[in-house]
Amino acid sequence: MKYQSFVGLEIHIQLISKTKVFCSCPNHFGDEPNSNVCPVCLGYPGALPSLNEEAVFKALKVCKALDCYINEKVIFDRKNYFYPDMPKNYQITQFESPFGVDGFFNLELDDGSIKKIRIHDVHLEEDAGKMIHDGYQSRLDYNRAGTPLLEIVTEPDLVAGRDAELFVQQFRQMVRYLDVTDGNMEEGSLRCDANTSINLPGKGLGTKTEVKNLNSSRFVNKALTYEIKRHGKVIDKGGEIIQETRLWDEKTSTSKSMRTKEDSHDYRYFPEPDLPPYRVTDVLMKEVEDSMVELPNDRKKRYMDDLKLSFDQAAFITGERKTADWFDSLLSIGSDANQAASWLSGDIQKILNKEDVLLENSPFIPKRIKELFELINDKKISNNIGKEVLQAIFKEDKDPSVIVKDKGLEQVSDSGAVEKIVEEVLAAHPAVVDAVRAGDDKQVGFLMGQLMKATGGKVNPQMAREIIVNKIKLDISGDSQSRDPKIIEKGSEK
Amino acid sequence: MSIKSDRWQNLLSDDSLWKSYNEYVNKWEKSIGSFLQFDADKTKGDSSSDGLLKGMPFGVKDNIAVKGFDMTCGSKILENFNCPYTSTAVQKLQGAGAVVVGKMNMDEFGMGSSTDNSALGETNNPWDKSRVAGGSSGGSAASVAAGQVPFALGSDTGGSVRQPASFCGVYGLKPTYGTVSRYGLTAYASSLETIGICAESTAITRDVFNTMKGIDNMDNTTVDYKPSGKDDTEIIAVLKVGENDLSEDVLNSYRVSQQRLKDLGYKLIEVELPTLKYVVPAYYVIATAEASANLARFNGIRYGLAQKGAETPSDLMQMSRNSGFGDEVKLRILLGTYVLRSGFQDQYYHRAQKIRTAILNDFNRIFEEADALMLPVFPTAAFRHGSSDLTQLQQKAADLYTCSANLAGLPALAVPSTIEKGLPVGVQFTAPAFEEERLFRISEKLEEIFPAQKPEGFSEEWKI
Ligand SMILES: [Zn+2]
Repeated sequence: MKYQSFVGLEIHIQLISKTKVFCSCPNHFGDEPNSNVCPVCLGYPGALPSLNEEAVFKALKVCKALDCYINEKVIFDRKNYFYPDMPKNYQITQFESPFGVDGFFNLELDDGSIKKIRIHDVHLEEDAGKMIHDGYQSRLDYNRAGTPLLEIVTEPDLVAGRDAELFVQQFRQMVRYLDVTDGNMEEGSLRCDANTSINLPGKGLGTKTEVKNLNSSRFVNKALTYEIKRHGKVIDKGGEIIQETRLWDEKTSTSKSMRTKEDSHDYRYFPEPDLPPYRVTDVLMKEVEDSMVELPNDRKKRYMDDLKLSFDQAAFITGERKTADWFDSLLSIGSDANQAASWLSGDIQKILNKEDVLLENSPFIPKRIKELFELINDKKISNNIGKEVLQAIFKEDKDPSVIVKDKGLEQVSDSGAVEKIVEEVLAAHPAVVDAVRAGDDKQVGFLMGQLMKATGGKVNPQMAREIIVNKIKLDISGDSQSRDPKIIEKGSEK
Repeated sequence: MSIKSDRWQNLLSDDSLWKSYNEYVNKWEKSIGSFLQFDADKTKGDSSSDGLLKGMPFGVKDNIAVKGFDMTCGSKILENFNCPYTSTAVQKLQGAGAVVVGKMNMDEFGMGSSTDNSALGETNNPWDKSRVAGGSSGGSAASVAAGQVPFALGSDTGGSVRQPASFCGVYGLKPTYGTVSRYGLTAYASSLETIGICAESTAITRDVFNTMKGIDNMDNTTVDYKPSGKDDTEIIAVLKVGENDLSEDVLNSYRVSQQRLKDLGYKLIEVELPTLKYVVPAYYVIATAEASANLARFNGIRYGLAQKGAETPSDLMQMSRNSGFGDEVKLRILLGTYVLRSGFQDQYYHRAQKIRTAILNDFNRIFEEADALMLPVFPTAAFRHGSSDLTQLQQKAADLYTCSANLAGLPALAVPSTIEKGLPVGVQFTAPAFEEERLFRISEKLEEIFPAQKPEGFSEEWKI
């Protein structure tokens, strides 16, 4: 690569909050158009904004997670421009002194290495309404107007489209962990604008272009890869990059110019006189700190280092905070990490995918899974029966012990009972017995199969195998008393 | 202290009294035009609350929200805007038993000193119909002077309550910034303006102020009211004025006021405000900058004038604003847009903010030596309609004595003083933040001996 490329991101997230950021209307989507509106968010004459503390708290959580410096005196500003979906024709945002500045995000690259991406600032602002063009009409819905948006601006520390894609994915995962947004890109609760420039190595930043309307991390990658290539071609031909805003068109997989710097707005920022400077108190910061959770990359590292999970397992479990929380709570009641991880990423996930249910909403509560593991580990049921029980937990929403009892799935581990069944099987297949006795050990498998078939798989397989072998080749395996005493004990208890 | 004016108490419940009152109001309306909307039937009997202001009718400047009334702001762009909510200040007054009887004329969006900039009607001075009532709260001051209402709410951005109060011979209070909620006051210059009071007596001014003040969750700029407790004044600083600073009449009145204060036993000291010569430019930079954003919301889309024939939403915005706003409003929006341009803020907006700090420092220095400061309200008495006495630019320059208190956020009270050649002239007192009571006490002492004069045609019993 002849040129060095620089990529920066501006990410908007819709904050989860009961009310809008400056009024008491519900911050809720999907309602009847213009039903969640009031004089404040409709910009009626005389209405004033009053700041929502919940949004402030969530903004501070993100600042904290990004290790930002929190400004002591947080100032809101007015950003002036006319747009029909913006009720006041200015947006209340933050310009000079936002909540957080100078933070960083540890981005994990594909090779597992960590790259520190500097965060320029984190600021809180209000969203606009929605204009819907419908034939010859334009219709306006102000339900979204005044809902809280948090904008996170990175420094141009990313290099390629793939970096940006990873950043969006990992950042999204983080803010979902923080429970500040649902992070749904398709629905616009996480929106991304990407800017890029290229230059010869050592020459610093080039002239940048910005691509807007990227509603998936994959598009972020594609658009940036396209732009970096486009910049290279232009410069190779001796041309110059024009500073401009471009739109990504997924259909054609190209970007096209939206507006150049010449027609960009002068936003005439000035401090919002209706909101006094906000002072972040130590008490509030303490509350924010107390509310912080272990962030996904830290958690993943802990799973790999302390619990010795594989990268894939750890990545899978930490993908969603609720999955990781579920996993941790399973471990906290005494289950083994490896057993938990392999069941979670295996059979449990298989069922959830098939049924399209989230783990946290499923009947798979940690207590039940722990019980299931115990049944397996105590050899009361086999691993295979365990899978059956798991299905039943999902379908019947019952505890595994109840299912095992109801369905009579408990393994037969009583040596007398097993011996009786073995004898029946051996009697039914004398030729095979002879073959085994002659040294064809593979045929033991056949006898086991028959045994399992006859009992519906409920016989303790280890015990059954030993009994078969002993019965046929007493001279080979010696005294049957060498069986695991624990099993006998357990079986005898019954 | 509570309100002495018993004459208002039974007005709303007594039908025959109400009838003669209505006739009285209508008679004055023909000559002064103080109301934009007078709707007695709608509100009569709506005085269910028992309180300090029980049964008192009052007028509300037409940039303050009262549900069920229009709120035009004196502008064509809001000519048919029916207000869906009530401002906090009015709500509190209603809670104390007062009843809104109408909406008062004003300069469009509060931009002016004469009420001549109203797009919806002309208001004359009750003392001389060829003269203006002042502005921008001209309708409020005129209606109180004529005895149509005992008090009316105005708004004071740079003197818009005190100057018309002085022109009409009534009491006019601009409270400390942040003490009265602005929720429901249509914003012109948010960081400067407050809801203010025009009233026929100091006592009413006090009761109305005390009813309205207090923290409001709907206005984050409201603050805890914390006066020092020192309500009585010994030393009054008097702003030194030059021979040419005031008209002969106002200068004369100013000297009489000083003599009266001396006679009342106050110690007077003469002071200067070095920053005063910078306040008008600073005031207009800040006011127009904020106005350019505040008035951006009027675009014909959600409410107000929607100009016909627009093909796109942006056409609609442009056409509605072009036909809906008057010239003075357009001028100020343009000025404000100009001073906020990127690269020009240091030269204008930031510089103005520095002057703002400087004038507050001037005041603070004075209040180290004196309890209150006396200064003129306006360089002239009520001028004639049109620009023959004062051009628009001269009218702006004349804001210097009033807009200083807005820049500094301090309370200021205009008190009727003398009658000069048939026109009332007021004098202004200002004090540190939250010291409204100090101002009321000075005013009350003066009022006891020199009560406000009434124009011809004024009747306490609403006799025509
Ligand atoms: Zn709302």
